[in-house]
Amino acid sequence: MPNLLGGIAASALLFLAVSVPAQAADPLAVGRQMLAEDNPGELWIEKGKTLFYEKRGPRGVSLEQCDFGMGPGKLEGASTRLPRYFPDTDKVQDLESRLVTCMVQLQGFKREDVIRRAISPGGSSGSDMEALALYITSRSNGMKMNVSLNHQKEREMYKAGEYLFFRRSGQTDFGCVQCHGDANKRIRLQDLIHMTSKQGVQEVVSTWPAYRGAHYVVRTMQWRLYDCFWQMRLPELAYASDVSIALTTYLHYQGNGAVTRVPGFKR
Amino acid sequence: MKKTWFKWAALGVPVLVIAGCATYPDPATTRRVAEKMVNESFTAPAPALLKRLAQDKSQQICSKIGGAQLTQEEAAEVARLARASIKYPPSGKLVGDWKRGDKLAHDGAGDRIQRGRLEKRKENGGLCQNCHALAPGEINVGNVGPSLTGYGLQRGTSDSIAKLTYERIYNAWAYSPCSNMPRLGATGHLTPEQITHMVAYLIDPQSPVNKK
Repeated sequence: MPNLLGGIAASALLFLAVSVPAQAADPLAVGRQMLAEDNPGELWIEKGKTLFYEKRGPRGVSLEQCDFGMGPGKLEGASTRLPRYFPDTDKVQDLESRLVTCMVQLQGFKREDVIRRAISPGGSSGSDMEALALYITSRSNGMKMNVSLNHQKEREMYKAGEYLFFRRSGQTDFGCVQCHGDANKRIRLQDLIHMTSKQGVQEVVSTWPAYRGAHYVVRTMQWRLYDCFWQMRLPELAYASDVSIALTTYLHYQGNGAVTRVPGFKR
Repeated sequence: MKKTWFKWAALGVPVLVIAGCATYPDPATTRRVAEKMVNESFTAPAPALLKRLAQDKSQQICSKIGGAQLTQEEAAEVARLARASIKYPPSGKLVGDWKRGDKLAHDGAGDRIQRGRLEKRKENGGLCQNCHALAPGEINVGNVGPSLTGYGLQRGTSDSIAKLTYERIYNAWAYSPCSNMPRLGATGHLTPEQITHMVAYLIDPQSPVNKK
């Protein structure tokens, strides 16, 4: 019986592959495209916009004075240049760690509270951070990733990210590259993006934050990295930690030129 | 003329300062910077679990940036360390119960850490299905590793095949230094007894892997 079912499933996949010649190499792309055309993640953009302009936190101010590198409140193109070095914090920051800075310094939230709530439980209505990160990134939709490495700390972050991408540890002996270093690979039926190819890494950097179907919420790059380390059996990646920013810097710089189109849609 | 010179200087000097100072760190500096990050970027419910982040000698050798080739000496060193790591079950019996192996091969859980908790189970899953094709007709299988369909049909059930299979699961790097295959026994993810069940699953003629 399992063989029969398997045979039916295989013929179904084959059928899809044959009927859509342009995507013959990737039979799952058909379903993925159908889902992407009706992306529930769109709903989070409006939520993020409201959160951005609302007066919130102990200080009762909006995020309009938050500087993502283009000047206070300037959001167009901001995410395409992140991570980048910020003189006020003397740190290289990605979008999410910069949001933490602003929510703490401008709005007066407690850092540990922001971080604890940043990644929402699956099936919930999502976190403020997830909605804000999506809204801000969506303001760069149609624009090209354009990360530069001018500051010494940006270069250190980039090289650390590259080192970490290939660093193997833990009981599975995995680094990032074990799953993401080759084309057309899968974990079970889940496609693995080939991140050492330009096309693959551009797919990554242009589609986060994304609506994650299995979780019914929008997920961010910080979550994506956290979840990989979980599956690798390693300790928990701290939100907005340097390892997360180093890997993001490495991937984003590699993906320069990719056109932002968020929310992405993931399984 | 004077004004133009001034303009160029005003534009040029800051550019030179930034461009002149920013250089890529050398590999030793990168390693130091990145390892410090590793030490500061993770949390675990028990301090002992943080040791999972530390690399052993082989993992260090096998972490070449950009997939650079191993030298002959490095490959030999990794293979030597791998051979020395292999332990056999106390019974000496390397072929266990293929039914238990079947279950293990399709189990991808165990020992993960999430929201301050360690995933505790009676035993860790074998993870095989994640990366390898197994019984014929199974669809939900990965392809990061080679297909194992018909593994025993091609190789038979001799003692030497059983031993080779056991050792390749216990520590694949004894035969393929730095391959993507986890050193499942050597890192402690699986016990020797669990590995004997997986050997049976791969070579026993009754196992679904070897059915047509």
